[in-house]
Amino acid sequence: MTSSALAANPDPPVAKRVRRSPSAARILAEVWEARDLVAQFVRRDLTIRYTQAVMGVAWAVLMPMLIVGAGVMFRIVLATLSNTHVEGTSIASIAAKALPWAFFAGALSMATQSIIGNANLIGKVYFPREALPLSTVLAQCPDLVIGLLLVTIILPFVGVGVSWSALWVVPILVLLVAFTTGVSLLLSCANLFFRDVKYIVQVVLNFGVFATPVFFEPQMLGRKGGAIMLALPLSPLIEGLDIAMVRGQSLLSTVAVSTAKGVLVVWSPWMLLYATVVSLSALLVGLRIFRGASSRFAEMA
Amino acid sequence: MTPSLVFEGVWKRFRRGRGHDSLRDLIPSVMRRAIGRPAARRANDQDFWAVRDLSFEVVPGEVLGIIGGNGAGKSTTLKILNRIMEPTIGDVRTSGKIGALIEVSAGFHQDLTGRQNVFLQGAIMGMRKAEVQRKFDEIVEFSGVGEFIDTPVKRYSSGMNARLGFSIAAHLEPDILIIDEVLAVGDASFQQKAFGRIKEMATAGAPVVLVSHQLDRIVDLCTKAILLEKGAVRSTGTPLHCVNEYLHGAIGQAQSSEPTEIRFDRIFAPNGAAVRSGEDLTVMIEGVANAAGPRDSWTPVIRVTDLRTGATAHAVTGFQRDVPLPTEGEFKYRVTLQMNVVPGAYDVDVLIWDGAAHAHIIHGPAVRVEVMDRMPFYGTTQMNSRWDVISAGTSNAVPPQDVVVRWQTA
Repeated sequence: MTSSALAANPDPPVAKRVRRSPSAARILAEVWEARDLVAQFVRRDLTIRYTQAVMGVAWAVLMPMLIVGAGVMFRIVLATLSNTHVEGTSIASIAAKALPWAFFAGALSMATQSIIGNANLIGKVYFPREALPLSTVLAQCPDLVIGLLLVTIILPFVGVGVSWSALWVVPILVLLVAFTTGVSLLLSCANLFFRDVKYIVQVVLNFGVFATPVFFEPQMLGRKGGAIMLALPLSPLIEGLDIAMVRGQSLLSTVAVSTAKGVLVVWSPWMLLYATVVSLSALLVGLRIFRGASSRFAEMA
Repeated sequence: MTPSLVFEGVWKRFRRGRGHDSLRDLIPSVMRRAIGRPAARRANDQDFWAVRDLSFEVVPGEVLGIIGGNGAGKSTTLKILNRIMEPTIGDVRTSGKIGALIEVSAGFHQDLTGRQNVFLQGAIMGMRKAEVQRKFDEIVEFSGVGEFIDTPVKRYSSGMNARLGFSIAAHLEPDILIIDEVLAVGDASFQQKAFGRIKEMATAGAPVVLVSHQLDRIVDLCTKAILLEKGAVRSTGTPLHCVNEYLHGAIGQAQSSEPTEIRFDRIFAPNGAAVRSGEDLTVMIEGVANAAGPRDSWTPVIRVTDLRTGATAHAVTGFQRDVPLPTEGEFKYRVTLQMNVVPGAYDVDVLIWDGAAHAHIIHGPAVRVEVMDRMPFYGTTQMNSRWDVISAGTSNAVPPQDVVVRWQTA
């Protein structure tokens, strides 16, 4: 072919390329294939955070402690205004609930940057792109586990016994990681296409702590407000952790609290189902959308 | 399963200056569109096709070379091969694990040690942890980083960085191998070693695609080649053919517009096309001038092109040598060139230079010449040094006075 053919045929045939987006199962299988890569990314993040930073492991404890501190102050203010006092169990609850929130907020703000931050890698080497946000989320897990162990140790000292129902923490954490990963996948690629997404994420995370039952008990917002709060995707996971760990109740039971305007059900087995459906859907939707967008990453990055 | 690689009618489009990359810009424009005041739509001429209708197949044992100038579409093709980008139109079918020898220390984290980075980069390039573990000693050995392997790479020199990166990539065991030209890393001795390794990998039997500006490597390693221009295939065939097309312009296309007053039929090396560095090369040129006769401002040019770099090693005109063009009839020139150049492959071709137009107006044929040497050559020029021992001091062996030591060409 000579360049005269080039001039004669400057435009392509109209035929469009048909893209078959792989199923979520295919994507998960591919990510599993790349597990060594995910492990290496996690290792990289942890090594940098724990051995290089001056703070070291204290980092794992400091962030949740700040959130707990803010929550306790907030509750003291509320109690003073209404002439009551803050009970020990409330503080234990705030501690238990601050941990998943710190995990969610930390993972999300890191993961949002995970694609942009590795742009040079994206443009040069092929690997399943999911490994980047996924490993960022997984690298937050040790902090969460350390925090939960510390809370478990401290609980008896504030007069809360640890019961077998605390084992419900395990499925709750699995759902929490699934939900966080799903949202992280979406935000990491959104931030690549729209560079200001990261600012919005920060603002939402700053105020989100008041929209989920981290500082508040749902019943403090009244019946309607409490129900709305519990319907937010992350709330059942946070509330469930509190119920299983601090209140020592099975997640298959129904927990109701009386309020001034009547009884509010703060937990029912349905909420476990709801949380499961929401978390897994978030993960699946995140995987599909991320994969669909990832073929354009190299052009955007 | 035999590994193979098929490109079928691949097109790749890029959009120049594309719309919005922040919500701050996107939301107002969506609002404007919603209330019916669409911004002037950008025309399609903002699009450009980086790759146009590229098709090829590479099977085991084949090494495909892709050449072309800047912006010809080599990098985009490479990225599509690597699965970093998807084609806009067309099909890419591969069977087997693809490994890429590309710019190689992209995944390094500056705060991690060499050892940690080997595992990280290895995983990024698709190696299993066990595989990296098995090859770890070999990788470190090859890189020559040795005792610094437990030092953070931020303390490495850029050469050490690149060497370690290359060593990792050079220990991949892919079913299909893709090699980018930017492999000339480290110092001269490491480059030598690296090229040796690349040759080893490229000739191991897997399907290979090699993208390079170093044309002699294409000729040396490839079994076939593609010449790209502005994203489209300009020529396919043997590496030699494509390299000639690339170096000597669009011969086929230009011929019709070239003047016909004079024509070169043949250029050849009667004493063989292989010479020692520093020795004489003889080429014969045959041609015909017709009755119209060439103009006074025209002169023949002998040009020697270094295929390693594509640069002109030497060019000399008939003006400079007082050799006029014939006014009519067949002619035959003998040109003797002293090949005082680095060993390698060279093209010698003949042209007509128009002194009035300041341009090459006729492109003649070329002959490929191999310059060899028995010993390594240092520097850029063969100087045929003569060493005469005038006084040997107190050395016990006094060499005969009139021996000429012809360095390297003895």
